[in-house]
Amino acid sequence: MASVRSVHAYPSTSAINNDRISYLGAKIPPEVEVMVKHLKDLDKDMFRKILKAVVGALEGKDCREAVKVIEQNSLLSEEQLSFIIAGAHTLLRVALRLPVSALKQEVFKEDLKELRIPDDFIADFSNIVYGNRRPILEDAALKQGIRLPTMEDLRWRVDVAISTSSLSRALQPSILMQMKLSDGESHRFEVPVAKFQELRYNVALILKEMNDLEKRNILKIQD
Amino acid sequence: MADTEKIKSLSGLLKGIAQSKYYGNTEINEELLKRELYPDLPLDEFRALHDKMQGIIKSIVSADMDANQIEAFLTAQTKKQGGITAEQSTVIAKFWKNHKKKIRESMINHTRWENTLKGLKWRIDVKSNSRYSDQVNNSAAAVVEMEIGTNDKQTEFLCLEFNETKMNEMLKKLSEVEESLAALTKIS
Repeated sequence: MASVRSVHAYPSTSAINNDRISYLGAKIPPEVEVMVKHLKDLDKDMFRKILKAVVGALEGKDCREAVKVIEQNSLLSEEQLSFIIAGAHTLLRVALRLPVSALKQEVFKEDLKELRIPDDFIADFSNIVYGNRRPILEDAALKQGIRLPTMEDLRWRVDVAISTSSLSRALQPSILMQMKLSDGESHRFEVPVAKFQELRYNVALILKEMNDLEKRNILKIQD
Repeated sequence: MADTEKIKSLSGLLKGIAQSKYYGNTEINEELLKRELYPDLPLDEFRALHDKMQGIIKSIVSADMDANQIEAFLTAQTKKQGGITAEQSTVIAKFWKNHKKKIRESMINHTRWENTLKGLKWRIDVKSNSRYSDQVNNSAAAVVEMEIGTNDKQTEFLCLEFNETKMNEMLKKLSEVEESLAALTKIS
């Protein structure tokens, strides 16, 4: 029966024979395709050097210097080098986005084979995605996500106004708070006692809600 | 003027003074009070009455008198020459009973210049996905918006994100503040 197809019957040699969509998406990102073309005559050591710079970038480091050094010591043109870096960056970033359970190593390798990436290079890519640097790369990915500033430090002081221009005996407590945020900003504000109680109540309530949420297990979404 | 009317007018005058002097109501002034409450009283007499009442209220507010203090104070006022009548004293005592708390609050707000926390809104999010990670370790995050500003200036909205650890830290700090406040109330 000619219509029956299976991945194993036709070892993955071309995308036509494979029903599974590549982890990079139905349409391969153009930068990855262009990169493949430039990988053909690339020296293995040079490729490793480039990968090292790309991994550095994924970890959030400034890699301009590293790239400059590579460019000076190789025969690649600036344009070729850019294509390879851009493609490798996308290929790795998309792979690292998926949890290991969702993108198995064999599948990843198979997908790269489909793209006609040389075997040696596939092994190098695979070592990055599934090697011991994975936790570091995941940490870096977490940091790169967008987020609102968080509270770094909270300092407080309880004041009691003894006397004012309109009250000879005020004796009114109030709280002065200073919040330092993760984006470097600082905010100072006064909290009247009634507002303070409201703040404290709400903070306790939020914590309770967060705990409840965890108990309800909806956080354990797995694929 | 009949007695009930006198009481009513004086009560109105006291409320008027409270509005203009303590609640920041700029629409009420001496002229309006004269026109509405004492149309038949000669201007100089009205003025004397107005100033006397204003002075008395000022003393009461400044000392934030309690029930006993105001009784003693008003009794002394009735006995003083050119003081107040027993009737007026009753009206003032009643006025103070009703307005003590509000006037005090308003006075305290008048001497507050720092930004104050005016409001708080929050939401709990579950992070699930981002460009860099398909599973953002599935943690809950509280997004808190704090409204901070002074009475007259525009307020500022401060948006913060808290994870559970940070929220716990915050609650701990607030509990410390609470303890400190509780200790204060015990002393006084």
